[in-house]
Amino acid sequence: MTDNANTVTTEAAQAVPARHAATARLPTPARLLVAQIGYQIRQMLANGRTLAIGIGLPVILLVASKGKGGTPDVAGYAAFGLTITAWASYGVRLVAARESGLLKRWRASPLPRWCYFAGAVVATTLTAVIAGAVAVAVALALWGSHFDAGRSIQFTGRSAAALLIVFTLAALAWASAVTAVTSIIPSVEAAFPTLTLIYFPLVIISGVLFSLNEPHWLSTLVSYLPAQPMIDAATNSVRHGAGVPFIPGRDAAVLAAWAAGGLLVAIVTFRWEPHRPRGHAGIRQARPARPDVG
Amino acid sequence: MSAITAECVTKRFGGFEAVSDVSFEVPDGQFLAVLGPNGAGKTTTLEMLEGFSPPTSGTLRVLGADPHRGGRAWRARIGLVLQSTSLDPGLTVRDTLALFAGLYPDPRPVSEAIEVAGLGADAITKVGVLSGGQRRRVDLAIGIIGRPEILFLDEPTTALDPEARRRTWAAIENLATTGTTIVLTTHYIEEADHLAGRILILADGKIAADTTPARLRAQAGPATIRYVLEDPGIAPALPARLAPHLEPDGRTLAIRSADIAGVLRELASFAERHHLALSGLEVGPPSLEEAYLTVIEGQACPEGTRT
Repeated sequence: MTDNANTVTTEAAQAVPARHAATARLPTPARLLVAQIGYQIRQMLANGRTLAIGIGLPVILLVASKGKGGTPDVAGYAAFGLTITAWASYGVRLVAARESGLLKRWRASPLPRWCYFAGAVVATTLTAVIAGAVAVAVALALWGSHFDAGRSIQFTGRSAAALLIVFTLAALAWASAVTAVTSIIPSVEAAFPTLTLIYFPLVIISGVLFSLNEPHWLSTLVSYLPAQPMIDAATNSVRHGAGVPFIPGRDAAVLAAWAAGGLLVAIVTFRWEPHRPRGHAGIRQARPARPDVG
Repeated sequence: MSAITAECVTKRFGGFEAVSDVSFEVPDGQFLAVLGPNGAGKTTTLEMLEGFSPPTSGTLRVLGADPHRGGRAWRARIGLVLQSTSLDPGLTVRDTLALFAGLYPDPRPVSEAIEVAGLGADAITKVGVLSGGQRRRVDLAIGIIGRPEILFLDEPTTALDPEARRRTWAAIENLATTGTTIVLTTHYIEEADHLAGRILILADGKIAADTTPARLRAQAGPATIRYVLEDPGIAPALPARLAPHLEPDGRTLAIRSADIAGVLRELASFAERHHLALSGLEVGPPSLEEAYLTVIEGQACPEGTRT
């Protein structure tokens, strides 16, 4: 009764035998992906507080710096909101889903495995881009299209288009990277401290929250990390004139490399099963000889 | 043809052998209970059948395929309930089921799955506020939403109260009548007895018995007659046949015997002589529990012992 089950053609998938209606087909990956993205977004909205930090914190910082006077660091605050959404909020959510057994359940279902990742990363990218866009919109409302920085800086339609691309690339880079990192985080309790411990040193040396007088080697290093190229490209988007590119190629390349590299590492190291102290169902961990457990 | 074939399957975790050289077959449509104490290798066996991990050695076939390499089409033909509940607390029961229904070629209607699992009253309740028993039935509803040909149930009623267990049993029995092959793990002998047509007893990663509830019952030994003397003072007057069965408390008679009628006649005439009402007299059926414990303690099991 399973004659066709092992062939790889779509006809075989369709011809999955037995009691199923003979014409029933597996749903197309595109349909599954759309459903996954919708599910992930609903899941995020159900936990509104995790979104509030990425969208709310930059707004608070912007309003506070309006009170202080001077030129706002719009690109830095937008980067802050975006990265905290794509890195910390998403990373914690992913670890929680794994530790609660949700990922294991998905893995055993007919959902293609890449579809779960793709749904989560796309939904996260959407919300992270929204977080960055809200920061920019608030800055425009508070300071106008020149951000109080003189005539040389202006937010135009071209800037909006460039920012959309830069934000999308950056969100993908951070979300992919954190997907890879979650495999070394053993529990939900460990997720926030681990992710924060990586995040804050990185954004501080990258000058997200304030500028540093960096030694040369450090500025070389941060130019290869995913925060500084994002700020650089975002700042570039509001400059106009001869020789100013739409998006600096090097910044785009660094972000794209983080997105692709993170995803590759994630595919290799990703774990679907919760860490279990009892361990008998833990597939990856070798376990010591303890015949009394399990 | 067999829904499941396991040949000489062994699974090691480091130096620990969780499953040792296990072989069995499950024909289409059978309801098999895998029974055993914690650590017997039940979940390890089930998770190999579900495709989570390959055996260290040996061969597994589920619906004709190697489970660990089973693709989407194969996974669409099996249903499962994991040992621990795995649900998104923020979704309603109906939304959860609709989400999973979308993965299968010919899913059961969501309302039907809700009905089978006995969740009618909770369809629009968020999973996070359901009781443990209700969540287990949501797990079960997800397990059957794709009309699986084989359903794996890993301790679906552990930690449920008796009422919740009965409801879950009723839902599982509904499915068994549709001809679905079901493999259930449990450490409750009465659950295996109530639901399954065949019982595989695992102990220390090996098959200790491959039997049926009826055969296990037949092995269970004699019935037990219990009677507590209203007045311990008359204990010395017990007839010779009953006296040796007096427990150390001096008032409880516990007699295991194949000759129930003979023991009862003896007891009745003793009661008549001493004007006893025999209130509280109990005649218990053969204890499956004891038969099961005998098997897992490693004593020979005459029925189909295989290693």
